This record gives sequence, C-alpha cells and structure tokens, in this order.
Amino acid sequence: MYGWIWRHLPGNVWVRALIALVLVLFVIYALFQYVFPWAEPLLPFNDVTVDNQ
Amino acid sequence: MRVIVRTVSELCITAGTLIVLFVVYVLFWTGVQADSVMNDQIDQLQQQWAQGRVGHTAGGPGASAAPQEPAPYHYDKPFAIMYIPRLGFTWNKPVLEGTGTDVLKKGLAHYARTARLGQRGNFAIAGHRRTYGDPFKDFPRLRPGDAVVLTDGTTWFTYRIDKGPYKTVPSDVEVIDPVPRKSGYTRPGRYLTLTTCDPEWGHSHRLIVWAHLDSTQPVETGKPKALRR
Repeated sequence: MYGWIWRHLPGNVWVRALIALVLVLFVIYALFQYVFPWAEPLLPFNDVTVDNQ
Repeated sequence: MRVIVRTVSELCITAGTLIVLFVVYVLFWTGVQADSVMNDQIDQLQQQWAQGRVGHTAGGPGASAAPQEPAPYHYDKPFAIMYIPRLGFTWNKPVLEGTGTDVLKKGLAHYARTARLGQRGNFAIAGHRRTYGDPFKDFPRLRPGDAVVLTDGTTWFTYRIDKGPYKTVPSDVEVIDPVPRKSGYTRPGRYLTLTTCDPEWGHSHRLIVWAHLDSTQPVETGKPKALRR
C-alpha cells in the first residue's frame, strides 16, 4: 500500500519524501479537524447532565 | 502471499497510528481547544461587564422585593464566571446557558429550566469531568463547607456546599429540582447544584453536590472572603 504510493510519487527521493510528509500532515489535519470531532461524541465523556438534553 | 502479508501489516500499523492519534486528540487537543475557548468566553464577559451592562438590582438572600426584570440568558452565551477555591486558586470557568454538547465544550453549562443565578430555586450547573479542559476533574475532592463563588459582573454570590459528592444514576433528574429530595433541604431556598459524570472516564453514574447561597456582595466592594488568599 505505502510502497505503491511511494512508487507513484514523482521526482527523486527528496522530492518524494517532501510530498509524502505533506500528505501525512494533510491526513493528520483532516483527522483532527473533521474525523475526530465527529467520532468523539460517540464516546461517553459528554454525558455529564442528569436529563440528557 | 508476500503482498497480502505486507498489506495486512500496513493496515494494522495504520489502524494503530489512528488510535494513538485519536487518544492524543481526546486527551490533549480537546483540552487545548477548550482552554482557549473558555478564555475567550471569560474575556468576552469581562469586556461586556466593563462596558457597563444594564443596571441590576442585587437580590440578597433576605431581599423580598422582586428586582426589575434582568436580562434573559441566551442559549450558548456566557453569563457568569465560577470560582471554586478547592479546585485550585486559579480555577475559574465561564458559565453558559443550556446543556447541549456544543455548550459543554465552551465551559460549564446551566440547566436552562432551573433557577437563575442567586435567585430562589435551584441554580443547576453541569460540567465535563474529563476532556475539554477537565473542568470538574477534582470533583470528588469537594467537601461540605467549601465555597463556590460566582459573579455575574455586578454581584458576587458565595455558595457553601452542604452535601456531596453524592453518586446517582443518569436518569435521576430530581437532583436538580427546586428542593432536591436527597439533598436534605426541606424548605425552598436559593440553592446550587453541580453535576458531572462518574466514573472519571465513564457515563454510568453522575456525581452531585448541593450548596446554598451563603452571602452576596456588590462587585464594587471587592472579592468575597472565600477568594482572598
């Protein structure tokens, strides 16, 4: 999977490493910004009221 | 065969990394976000108060005359700051109207159907035990006699804890009744209820403390005794 991505990145090793790093950072950003805020309310830490409004 | 093994291992590593990142998000990042949001809320309140909001007649515990209709609370908007010396001398959190999940991310949440701050009835507040800045992390350390101080910009309200922490189930809504049965209060009065979840990381129970309004003083007279070092 990762080998396949690596082979399909353009440029020499340094350019590929740079692009890979940017991709990784982008994925982490997307996770923190969109995926985790969506998933977090499914965990029980939000239930602090007695009437569950 | 080798391709399959490699792909499966890569997927496992990816899943592991995802879980670690999610734990970082829940334990650390929500706290960072909440701290900055809560500071914003407090700044916003202090700015509002500095601009001299509408005149407000403070209703002391003995005051019987109804004060002029104060500004209504608006959902998701802060209206007070809470201080609990037992939870730390620098512990202060904004109190917002409503108990929606979005509100609880920004501070402590006032149960909309309960009494207003300092008024007759039960002023009930919910807060996160863990995540989002851990406002009520040390909730079990609260003891009878501890002060819970609130200000709405014109008046300091000092409540004294009478009972708690009391453990109950999530469906026990009568703990925020005007005169909660389990609290030991028998007559109507000016009460305060704090609720959070228990156990620390779970949601099977709730922890409750009850307090009564001990004293009020205008902000011009300085901080109440409970907040002075």
